[in-house]
Amino acid sequence: MSAVNATQAPPILHLSSVVGSPLRDSAGERLGKVEDVIVRLGGAGYPPITGFLVRVAGRPSFLGVERISDMGPDGVVLRTEKLDLRHFERRPEEVLLKRDLLDRQLINVEGARLVRANEIELAHAGGSWRVVGVDTGPRGGLRRLLPKGLGAHIATGEFLDWAGVEPFVGHVPTVRLRVPHPKLAKLHPAQIADLVEAASRREGEEIIQAVGDDDRELEADVFEELDDQHQREFLEDRPDAQVAAILSRMAPDDAADIIGELDEERREPVLALLPVRHRVKVRALLGYDPAEAGGLMSPDFILLAGTTAVSEALREVQESRIAPELLTSVFVRGADGSLEGSVPVAALLRAERGSGLGAVVKHEVPCVPPDAPFEEIARLMADYNLTAIPVADEHDAMVGVVTVDDLLAAMLPRSWRRRFGLLGED
Amino acid sequence: MAVRVPPVMRRFRSAVGGRPRLPARLSPRRTRLFAFVGLLGPGLIAANAGNDAGGVATYSSAGAKYGYDLLWLMVLITLSLGIVQMLAARMGVVTGKGLAELIREEYGIRWSMLATSAVLVASLGICISDFVGVGAALGLAGIPAQASVPVAALGIWLIIVRGSYRSAERVFIAFTIPFFAYPIAAILAHPHWGAVGKAIVAPHLHAGSSYLLLVIATAGTTITPYMQLYLQSAVVERGAREDELAREEREAVSGAVFANLVAAFIIIATGATLFTHGVHEISSAAGAARALKPFAGHYAEALFGIGLLGASLLAAAIVPIATSYVISESLGYEKGIGRRREEAPVFVNVITTMIILGAFVAMIPGVPVISLLVGVQVVNGLLLPINLFFIWRLARSPHVMGARRSRGLADLVTAITVTVLSALSLVLVVVTATGA
Repeated sequence: MSAVNATQAPPILHLSSVVGSPLRDSAGERLGKVEDVIVRLGGAGYPPITGFLVRVAGRPSFLGVERISDMGPDGVVLRTEKLDLRHFERRPEEVLLKRDLLDRQLINVEGARLVRANEIELAHAGGSWRVVGVDTGPRGGLRRLLPKGLGAHIATGEFLDWAGVEPFVGHVPTVRLRVPHPKLAKLHPAQIADLVEAASRREGEEIIQAVGDDDRELEADVFEELDDQHQREFLEDRPDAQVAAILSRMAPDDAADIIGELDEERREPVLALLPVRHRVKVRALLGYDPAEAGGLMSPDFILLAGTTAVSEALREVQESRIAPELLTSVFVRGADGSLEGSVPVAALLRAERGSGLGAVVKHEVPCVPPDAPFEEIARLMADYNLTAIPVADEHDAMVGVVTVDDLLAAMLPRSWRRRFGLLGED
Repeated sequence: MAVRVPPVMRRFRSAVGGRPRLPARLSPRRTRLFAFVGLLGPGLIAANAGNDAGGVATYSSAGAKYGYDLLWLMVLITLSLGIVQMLAARMGVVTGKGLAELIREEYGIRWSMLATSAVLVASLGICISDFVGVGAALGLAGIPAQASVPVAALGIWLIIVRGSYRSAERVFIAFTIPFFAYPIAAILAHPHWGAVGKAIVAPHLHAGSSYLLLVIATAGTTITPYMQLYLQSAVVERGAREDELAREEREAVSGAVFANLVAAFIIIATGATLFTHGVHEISSAAGAARALKPFAGHYAEALFGIGLLGASLLAAAIVPIATSYVISESLGYEKGIGRRREEAPVFVNVITTMIILGAFVAMIPGVPVISLLVGVQVVNGLLLPINLFFIWRLARSPHVMGARRSRGLADLVTAITVTVLSALSLVLVVVTATGA
């Protein structure tokens, strides 16, 4: 890019200086007042201005952007001398900048936090007027607080580029206006969950809905990360089929936790809608106390006979669809089916491919019964340097595995589990 | 090959066995517990913070000056406070946003900043007067304010900043227990209950500006802006869901009723003693307690002191929180009780500054509390109409409240309440400011 181009960034126009400014005809005659600016969201890039809400002779009317020749702090200038006004009607994906966005919350996608729009910045770019950013700092707020003459002297401050923010539009009264939030997909499910928890209920619902429209998997991931209260809240409004659809995308242990959050009379209908294999696992997990090993374990693991070859075990790992964090070890059973020991996947990789699992298995690995308390599991995992510990029933048959991440989540002191994701740069 | 199980584990295995216990994971034990605790919450806290040092002083002078004659007013005030608090709770539940946040979103930055700065000024004054109240209450027991106030300030700060919302709420609810001292004091004062009953149902009006002024001051001290601001934000923070709306509203109303019962008992206690014995001028809450001693005995003084201590502690905690909610909401900062400074710097810093400032000024010997309270009254009197107007408008807006908006008769009653209270409040401002 040439140096000339770089310096020729288009001048920034503040929304607050356009709103309230006069509407003039091409001869400079004052016709009325600009009340709001209309933009179309939804497309990629910076949202273009499609028109203005103006008040002429006391009547609110719509003025299309194609009818103006210029806009600035001194007002909006008509292309012609004749004024042709139409009744204002919201069209799909259109929002009023002042009424619907200014002073409201937005998601700062870069920082994964909620911010408030103190000022909206406009510029003439790519052949049309567009929204280019949002000022969330004190300058934007101060400019609007001060009388117009004084406020105009406050220079443009640092502002968030529109590419990095996502507005809430749930309160815009257009019939079922559905603006996708493509930028949200860039965030980690845990960050999205933090946003939902920080936002008000309706805004949280909007985030979840937007995420769900684009990506059902992501929606399920976000649900897993939400705290109990919010899970309950969002599931209550949904029909059973939708809840089941979300649950079927979750790991069985997380799904079981959420079923536990549902009202008693809804649990069976929702369970019945789950796919059979999933349902069996979830139902088995539901039988355990959430404060014991059984309530924490995942029923997904690989358990092989001691006679299996290492190469065969590796193939099992490769073909398995179990989440990687659950598959840090492969478990080995004896001839009678009882749990015999475990082999970490790394050890498996290092072992001679042809040898049997019996040769590399670690026997001194402890296992816990389903009613072992968390403290005991934590102590054992620390003593034996484990990232996963098997859970076995009274016949030594393995029923699940507790991984270190689930245990950590359960044992973290309440005060440590705060949302740090929303701190931004602090 | 046998599995080698560590000895600890063997112990577990020999226990009841690993049989899955079916209903365990599905235990609904939380809900029942909360149903009871749900009756006590932000509504109780917010309304009772109004019975603070300034409130007790006003009710005591009402009782000392006119006996039971102002009791009828408490019925009307209870009704108004109940309505206003219920609307604040409802808006919190339905929108999930604080009042300052809604004002900013619906009416723009200028209105929200006006309200915010008024809250800041008024709250600072109330905060000081409540730390003075803490010092005065413990002063009755012979503890100097220079010793008691810093300890109280530190305690309050720790509860707000180091605890969680739930733990803070529990402590605040505990702060309302000392309020039971007032009914006991009222009973000890041996009032003529027949006369009390009559005064409640049959308004006994006096001519004269000082009566009118006391009527307005009583209304003004019972219905203060920070109550609604705190209540709405606290309801949001507590995460009340829409199906819990009825419960939150009931809690807000019952909190208002309890607070005003306490106020009525203060009037009864002072009316039965000070008024009948010709002591008509009371200048402060601690002064009321001291004045009670010759007529109602040591216990009455101690009970009034205990009540004052609880009330002052409660208000000294609630007022900084309410202020900080408002500032964070209208400027768009992170907020939340129990948040650390790194998480919500503005929220915590505002609370810290207010507590330090309030406690520091309160420790200065001979600080002019009366003129301070007069100033507070003026700012609060200006703020209340703004606050009430927005509450009324927001609560009836279909855009904000959807199907839960107030309509018809409910809206009309609100409008009347708001108009009357606003008018009273503005009269108070004019009278106080002109020094009549």
